[in-house]
Amino acid sequence: MASASWRQFKAILRKDLVMEMRTHEMITSMGLYAILTMVVYQIALTEAGEALDVRLVMPGLIWVAFIFMSLLGLNRSFVHEKDQGCIDALLLSPVDRPVIFFAKFSGNLLFLLAVEVLSLPVFAFLFLQGREGISNPIWLLGVVMLAASVGISGVGTLLATMTVNTSGKDILLAVVFVPLMYPLLRAAVGATFAAVIGGPGSIETFWSWMAWVAGFDVIMLLVAFGLYEFVIGA
Amino acid sequence: MGETPLTGNALEVRGLTRAFGARKALDKVDFDLPEGAFLSIFGPNGAGKTTLVKILTTLLNPSAGSVKVCGLDVVTDAVELRHKIGLISHNPLLYADLTAEENLLFFAEMYGIPEAEERVRELLESVELDHRRLDLTRTFSRGMLQRLSIARALLHRPDILFLDEPYSGLDPHAMDILDTLVAQIRGEHTFVMISHDLSKGLELCSHALILANGKVVMFDERDAIDEAAFRETYRATVGMGVA
Repeated sequence: MASASWRQFKAILRKDLVMEMRTHEMITSMGLYAILTMVVYQIALTEAGEALDVRLVMPGLIWVAFIFMSLLGLNRSFVHEKDQGCIDALLLSPVDRPVIFFAKFSGNLLFLLAVEVLSLPVFAFLFLQGREGISNPIWLLGVVMLAASVGISGVGTLLATMTVNTSGKDILLAVVFVPLMYPLLRAAVGATFAAVIGGPGSIETFWSWMAWVAGFDVIMLLVAFGLYEFVIGA
Repeated sequence: MGETPLTGNALEVRGLTRAFGARKALDKVDFDLPEGAFLSIFGPNGAGKTTLVKILTTLLNPSAGSVKVCGLDVVTDAVELRHKIGLISHNPLLYADLTAEENLLFFAEMYGIPEAEERVRELLESVELDHRRLDLTRTFSRGMLQRLSIARALLHRPDILFLDEPYSGLDPHAMDILDTLVAQIRGEHTFVMISHDLSKGLELCSHALILANGKVVMFDERDAIDEAAFRETYRATVGMGVA
């Protein structure tokens, strides 16, 4: 049974990757949104000039961009399944519903991470040229991005499944998703701040915020796992 | 997975009720269908036909009553049952951004079909789409999509096939191909078809059922049905409107 689930997981994930490589729908919309947001940030902060240490606001700016960017991708993640009734064909097959959740979640996570990784150099180019860079090792930034993206994709996949058949799904997803993301967003900004600014005790602060991020991930993934059968069959 | 109990009946529906809020889409529906039969389900829009098929195919849970398909309960044995059922809908249920072959190989993996590539090739030939196997299905005509949809539904050799208005939107050539395919596999499967086309439905069926307002108005074997009386009953149910 476990090998059947693993085979089905790989099949759904591969299918989503192949279709995204062909259509570029999620990557393009998320990537463009991220770049445009950063350009707007850059314009908004122009007058502050050298007086503002951009590093102080960088964590918040990055995560606001990532949260709203992920909304775009999550809204699109079930479009292929809804087209031509494919979700019914998927549900008709002998697959445990949590397998569908984990496959869709993994696809969303990969697409989100890809756009995050691509958009960070743009952010550095626009805001950090000629300024002091990140104080702590850059891999800490990678850790918080990975961990927070797990939570964003997990909750987002569950909510996108719930809202896919509703009218006004775009706004409904945002209205439910953003408040639920508050604890994760706060912890991710805190951890990113500690990684970027550095200083005495920053590593300890970083890991204490990361504990919050990890806790959020575990709780939300368990909730999503438990609810998915009900949600996708509703 | 356990052995499938042999009951002699492909469908056993007892007191099936499905409510959406206060509205009952199905209300105490009862009927049995023997294995190998071809059931045509008729009824006006909103009669509960699609809800009934969704429950029979495990896509929706009943609110009350019990439903067994191939001897398996649609709620408690759903995963095992899904190996035994196929659905051909008016929607193709195919991914537009995958090729014909990729679509079938994807579903073959979902069902764990051994020697999937061979099975896919065989099915693509039988629906006359082998020459388009590497084309994205978004480039297919309605008739081609429906033929590929048939191949998808037959992929795992189901015991019972559900046809939800399969002729809807098909051109005459595609209808002929669908007729031929149904005739070829008629003896190997039990069929349940929703149709608004009385002539077609009665031509194909061994049993006929009329639903209206979520209730069974008429259910009988084809041989026992007087066609004129049946048509009159159907016309009267259409006049009953939706539930």
